This record gives sequence, structure tokens and C-alpha cells, in this order.
Amino acid sequence: MSIFVIGYYTLLLAASCLAAYFNKRTWFLLVFSLTLVSFILGIVGGASMLRGVAIAAGMLALSAMVAYAFREFLIAIASNDMAKELRTAPLTAAFGMFVIFTYAIAGIFAPWIAPFGEAEVISTAFAAPDGDMLLGADQLGRDMFSRIIYGARNTVALALAGTVMAFLLGALAGLLAATTGGWFDQVLGRTSDVIMSIPSLIFALLMLSIFGGALANSTTSFWLMFGFAMVTGLLVVVAKAENNVLSWLVGLAILVGVSAAFSLGMLTIFNPSEVILILVVGVIYSPRVFRLTRAVAGNVVVMDYIEAAKLRGEGKWYLIRREILPNSTAPLIAEFGLEFCFVFLLVAGLSFLGLGIQPPTADWGSMVRENATLISFGDITPLIPAAAIALLTVAVNFVVDWMLHRSSGLKD
Amino acid sequence: MPKSKDVLLEIRDLQIQGYSDEQWVDIIKGVDLTLHRGEVLGLIGESGAGKSTIGAAAMGYARDGTRISGGSIEFDGMELTTASESDRRALRGSRIAYVAQSAAASFNPAHKLIDQHTEAPVQYRLKKRMEAQEDAIELYRRLRLPNPEEIGFRYPHQVSGGQLQRAMTAMAMSCRPDLIIFDEPTTALDVTTQIEVLAAIRDIVDQFNTAAIYITHDLAVVAQMADTIKVLLKGEEVEEAPTKEMLDNPKEDYTKSLWAVRSLKREQKVRPKDTTPLISVRNVDAAYSSGAKVLDDVSFDVYEGMTVAVVGESGSGKSTTARVITGLLPPMKGDVLFKGEPFPPDYRNRTKDQLRQCQMIYQMADTALNPKVQISEIIGRPAQFYHGLKGAALKSRVDELLDLIELEPSKYYNRYPPELSGGQKQRIGIARALAADPTFIICDEVTSALDQLVAEGILRLLNRLQKELNLAYMFITHDLATVRAIADEVVVMQHGKVVEQGPKTDMFTPPHHPYTDLLLSSVPEMDPDWLTTLLEERGVDNVGEAASSNIKPGDAKVQGTQL
Repeated sequence: MSIFVIGYYTLLLAASCLAAYFNKRTWFLLVFSLTLVSFILGIVGGASMLRGVAIAAGMLALSAMVAYAFREFLIAIASNDMAKELRTAPLTAAFGMFVIFTYAIAGIFAPWIAPFGEAEVISTAFAAPDGDMLLGADQLGRDMFSRIIYGARNTVALALAGTVMAFLLGALAGLLAATTGGWFDQVLGRTSDVIMSIPSLIFALLMLSIFGGALANSTTSFWLMFGFAMVTGLLVVVAKAENNVLSWLVGLAILVGVSAAFSLGMLTIFNPSEVILILVVGVIYSPRVFRLTRAVAGNVVVMDYIEAAKLRGEGKWYLIRREILPNSTAPLIAEFGLEFCFVFLLVAGLSFLGLGIQPPTADWGSMVRENATLISFGDITPLIPAAAIALLTVAVNFVVDWMLHRSSGLKD
Repeated sequence: MPKSKDVLLEIRDLQIQGYSDEQWVDIIKGVDLTLHRGEVLGLIGESGAGKSTIGAAAMGYARDGTRISGGSIEFDGMELTTASESDRRALRGSRIAYVAQSAAASFNPAHKLIDQHTEAPVQYRLKKRMEAQEDAIELYRRLRLPNPEEIGFRYPHQVSGGQLQRAMTAMAMSCRPDLIIFDEPTTALDVTTQIEVLAAIRDIVDQFNTAAIYITHDLAVVAQMADTIKVLLKGEEVEEAPTKEMLDNPKEDYTKSLWAVRSLKREQKVRPKDTTPLISVRNVDAAYSSGAKVLDDVSFDVYEGMTVAVVGESGSGKSTTARVITGLLPPMKGDVLFKGEPFPPDYRNRTKDQLRQCQMIYQMADTALNPKVQISEIIGRPAQFYHGLKGAALKSRVDELLDLIELEPSKYYNRYPPELSGGQKQRIGIARALAADPTFIICDEVTSALDQLVAEGILRLLNRLQKELNLAYMFITHDLATVRAIADEVVVMQHGKVVEQGPKTDMFTPPHHPYTDLLLSSVPEMDPDWLTTLLEERGVDNVGEAASSNIKPGDAKVQGTQL
């Protein structure tokens, strides 16, 4: 028996005895069941298996500690109201926030963190990890670690932009449909039904093969983006304009200007094919957001305070902004988190199929595809970007679960 | 009536805690209670006094988010606080039954009444299904439900509210329990239907010698039902005494204040001569989207500075009239005049100034105030919207309004509605209406969701504001005590028609229209023998729905009061 095995069991047993002595029931159960599991696995798999169990348990304990410390840190720096909310966060949510925070830092400061450029060939193909390259090299000899860091920037930014687009269009349309009702509601509702009736991946492939990929150029991208912005903005104008021609004309003039500026802005941040991808995501996901928003707002619209505001003579824009929106933010934020995960997976999936982000831009989805051959040699390299995707998805869902729990008003 | 004197339920030093803001707070702070077989105990108090919590605890049940933290509950020799959950469950439904406040919400809408009725006896293997059904029909008959043979085979939505409440009482009786807990069984009902339910409950409790805990906030009701009354305040007992003694000779100040509530009086104003009415409703017919007519030829006037009370049971078209006046429901026929000028029928076509003149205060302050908007904005918005006030002027106007409704501005300025009590919320609702500087305010059942003491405060406030600001009120209510307290003129509505209208004094002196008579005689009085006397006078089959459907249009009294 090695010193490790003896030390490990001694530690566990001492901990369980202490827990039992001080009547910490949950702790005792936790530690002692770990002892039993290690005992069985130790007999079956020997010292190496035991080491694995110890490392897994240690990792778990470390993440719990990180989550706990991170939550306490947030509570300490947040304002009073925020701190009260944060105290209700379970450790999973705190862990999720920590992961998201890490990804955000990695994405924002990518050029400073990554040791090499994202398209820089520095070694032979599939080189093993060494002191320079933490995670080895990919199929062209580029540093895997640097590409993961840059991937955080590209993939996440794209998914985020897509989700925001979907939310702007969907939420505005949903709020307006709920407040207006009648044929306007019907038209928007049936349109969203039509879009939702097409399987999303097929729809994305279809639209990308018409506009995207190699066909994408700045002019088409600009006009498509411009169109999308106009449709979204038109909803604002409909809500805001009063019943006279002048206010419509002024509204439209402002809208054209804002849309053009916005489209130009998007094109400077993203390249044309990425803009197309963002639009595709926006179009595919906005109907879902529309449905949810309309349902949530529909419940709010029937309240007496909305009637009071209507009787006061308030316009639709005020109703939406001041009366309905504050009462539907919680489910919308939760939905945002969920949709973000779906969008993220869709973008990764499209990249895997070769239709998403174009090489040599680093992207987790395409990195999995490019290194897929390596899996047959028992190398874990292609699993690293996949794990990055999985971790972010899980993290976002942890946070969203907490928010859903809060917005549903459930108390344990 | 002879009553066996063994103790059925004994609660000693009961303490219950509720979980809020991450800590346990005492809700019930040591209440004792003794109930003998066949005895009816009335529990009264304001909302939040812990009445329902004690009622649930008598079944050994703690609601979600509460826990029984101390004391003992002994039911017929069995200690409920330490009994296992399965033992306690075996009691519920068979030996202790519960009748909830809203029968409409408590029946499962997907099953027939009789199936829900027979569930407990069949479940506890007390009766076979067919026996249980026969027994149910027998109970329906005893509770004087119409068509006892057939009514059980209907679904809950096919039965009226008063009948549903009686069906629920029958269901509670299905296993012949020793104890029934009535949790505000008539609070949601109209006065006319309330009588039927009260009479039925009293009879059946007498017939089977069942003990009961009757929870309510209405003193007059509890006076009819209970042998002893216990008054609760904030989870503590104020006093307990036999009904007669409690009514004649209350000891504690709090109890006296409850008794004194209905003392609000106000001078009755007379219509000013030779002026055009402020609001005048002319021959209005209205219906909701091609349905049957809800309003049929409704006409009445409201003069400046006066209060017109519109009374009638639910479904009589009171609130629909308000919707027509505000423009939410354009009438099919007839029109609404404001100072002699016609109001556009749809509120969307009214000018800002027309909208400003006519404000509304709602029944449920919870749904009438946006929970996510600060008080300062709720009140400030109308002032900003109609009068264009900004910055310091707006703030001083909001302060002025908060002063007017007797809330301290600095304390409430930045709060949100969920942080206020029911009465305070209703005050904010009033302030919002006042912020528009209206001449006419529609009060839609503004006090019916409030406790009596709080409601009286609101009525006093409304009275004072009327005097100071010369407001006209249209006061929709089904509570005749309120009408007596504040109205100048009364409009009685039934089935969408105005059956009688006139100055208050005329309305409260006979001869009445039979419907007015029915309404007036149905209001419970503090006299514990009131129900007995009334039932003797009118006969058990001539109260409530039965009586209102008995009114013949050819009746001499109807002709006499028709306008």
C-alpha cells in the first residue's frame, strides 16, 4: 500500500468522523459516501483508479470553492439590492457566472492572452503539447491554445450578436402584437408560424447557400442587414408614431438613418459572411422569442393598470416601455440565456458543416471538424474545443436555471 | 338544543412561523382554543390576523412556507403535531373537513360535482359508490339545492356561485365529519346568495351535530353562525366570549373598534336645481362582442359634487356601466353626456381633457398598480401627462397628492406597490385618480377587498376629498352598509336594468321595489337572531336566487317604482 492510499483513506475517515461528531448530517453523508465509493473502486481498479477518484473529487471540491468564493466576491462588490439577489444564487449558478466571466475575459483580451496569432503556423501538423504549445498543434501546425482563445472571441461574439438580433426583432414584435391585437397580431403570429414550420438547420443551410459563404460580399450583407434593421425599427415607429402623417415621416427618416449607420457598424465589426450568419440566426430564432414575449405580455396586458394607462390616453410605446416590459423582463432574460445556448450550438454546428465561420478564422465548431481525424488515434485534441462549447453551454444553463427559478416565483 | 360537552379539539399555545426574507417570522403567537362537539366557534379578525392559518392547523396542516413551531393540537384524543403524516391524512376529509372561500376555484373543473363529492367516502371505504351518490343527493336536498337529483351530475362551471358553495358544504359533509372548517365561505358571494348559504350551513351543522370553526371577517355573519366568538389580532387572541355577550358587551378596545365600524355617517346632499348634470347616461344598451345584452336601457344622472351609488348583485351590469362611461365599451345604443355635451363613445376618440375629467379607482389595488413602477411615477405620471409638470414642480405635486391621501411623502416616494399594505395601495390608486384633476371619479367596489377598519378609512378619505375638491363619485358596490354611509343618490340594478333610483333616504324607506327590498333585507345585521327571524318572515324558500327570480314584472310595487 502506498502512502497515498493510506493518507487518502485516513483523511476521508477523519473528515467523516468529524462531520458525524459535530452533527453535520449532509456533510457526513457526502464525505462518507465518497469514502465508500473510493473503497469499492479502489478494490476494483487499484491505486490508479483511486487516484482518479481523488482527482475527480478534488476538482469538484475546487470548482465548488471557486464558485463559493466568486459569489461572495460578487456580493461584496455589488450594490445592496443586487447583493440580496445574488445571495439567492445556488453554487451552480455562481460557478456558471464564473465560467462566463472567464470566457468573457478570454474573448475580450484574446490578442494579449494568446501566445500566437490565430492563423500563425508555428509547428508541424498535430504536434504534441510542449512547453510552447500548451495543447499541441492542429492539422496545419497552428497553436491549439491560441486558437481556443480566439475562438472564444469569434464564436461567442457571433452567437451573442445573433441572439441579440433575434431578441430585438422577436421581443418588439411580440410586445406590439400583444398590445395591438386584432389583425396585426394575426399577421405577425402566422408569419412566425410559417418560419417555425421550416426545420431550423435546413432553413439555415438554405439561406446560407443563397447568400452566404463564398457568395457573401459587403454590398449584399449591407443591404440585408439594412433590411433587417428597417423591419425591426418599423415596429418601433408603429408603436411610437401618433396618428398623423408628419410623425410617421419623421419617424421613417430617423429610422433610415439609424438603420444605415447600424448596418455599417456591423460590417466594420464582422466580415460579410459573418453578418449573413448573424442575420440567419436572427431570422430563425426571432419567432420563438416572439411567441414567448407575446404570451408573457398577453398576461400583463389584461391587468387593470394597463387599462388605467390606456384610459389616461397613453400611447403604445409608453405602455410597452413603462408598463409591460418591466413586468416581463425576468422570463425574457431567462429565455435569452437559453436561446443563446441554442444559437451557439447552431453556429458551431453550421461551422462543423463548413457553412459557418470561414477559415482561417478560429472557431470552435470548425476546430472540432478539422481535427476530427485525430480522434481515431486516441488523441483528445478535437475534444478540447468541443469541451469549450459544452462548458459554456452548461454554465449559461446553470445561470438561466437560477433565473427561471426566481422568475417562476418558486420558493423551495 | 342539547349539545354533548366532550371536548373535540383542543389547541394549546399554538405557535406557527412563516418563512419570509430568509428568516422565520412568528405568525401565530400562542393561541389557545377549545371546541366541544356540536359547537360552532367563530374566528374573526382582519386579514393577516392568522385566522386561516389556525383553521389549517386544526387539521394538523401547515401551509407551504409555514411550520408549526410549538404548542399542541389535540383532536379527539390524538395529538396532531406529533402524529405521522399518514395518520393526519386519514383524518382529513373523513373526520375533519374543509370548506374553502372560493368554491369556484376549489372544485376541479374537469369532474362532475357528484364524482368529487363521493371521492372521499369511496376512498375511505365508508360507502359504496352508489350509496354515496344517494347520500349526496339526500344532502343536496337538505341544503335546498334546486333539482337535487340532477345538480350533482353537472360540472362546476354549470352551477352558480351560491349553489357551488352549498355543494361544497355538502361535500364536506359526505363522511359525516366531527369537525368542519369554514374558511370565509360567503365572502365572495353577493348578499342575496349569502343568505341561502348561511341558512344551509347552519341547518346542516345543527342536524348532524357537527362542530365547526367558522372563519370570517364579517361580524354580522359570524353573529348568525357561531356559539362563541374569538377575536384575533396579528396572531394573538384578543378575547373570546359567547356570541351574545361578545356583541352586547365587548371588553377590549380593539373589539369595540371593530364593532364601531359601521358608524360612518355623512350628510345627504340634494341635487342642485337648474344645472346640467355632470355625467348623464342616456338610454344605454350595451353588449360584449355580439353576446346577449348586458345593459338594457340604462339611464341616470350624476351631479357635480354628489355621490351616486350603483348597487346590485354581481352580473347586474354595474361594472359594465362604468366601462361604458369610461369609453372602454362603446354602447350599442344611447350615449353618455358630460355637462350636456356628448362624450365620444370610444375612449380612443376622446381628447386628453375629456379623458382627464373622468378617472377610475379599481377594486383590486393589487392589479391596478404596476408592481414594477415606483409610487412617485405611478402618481406623477398623470400630472406629467395631462399638465406637463416636470422636475421640481412634479415632485412637489406628488408630495402634495401623498399628503392629500394621508401618506407621508418622504417615506413612500420611492417605494414599489408590493411593499405597501392593501389599504395603502388603495390610497395610491386614489392619488393616481386625483393627479389628473378630475371632476368625476368612478369607484368600482373600492372597499370590497379591504378589511372593515381599513375600508372605513378609505371611505372617510373619499368623503373628505369630495368636500375639498368638489368631486362627483359614481360608487359601484354591493355592500349596502357602504351605500348607507356615503351615498347621496342610489341606483339599483338587476339583470342590466335600472330597477329603482332616487335619493338615498327614499331608497331606504318603504315602499321598495321587491328587488331593493330583497337586497335590503339580505344585509346581515349584528343581531344574532337576525337570520332566524328573517327566515321565519320570508320563508326558507323565499331568499336569495329563488326570491329574485320570483319577482314578477306585473307586481304592483314594481309598477309603482318604475321611472
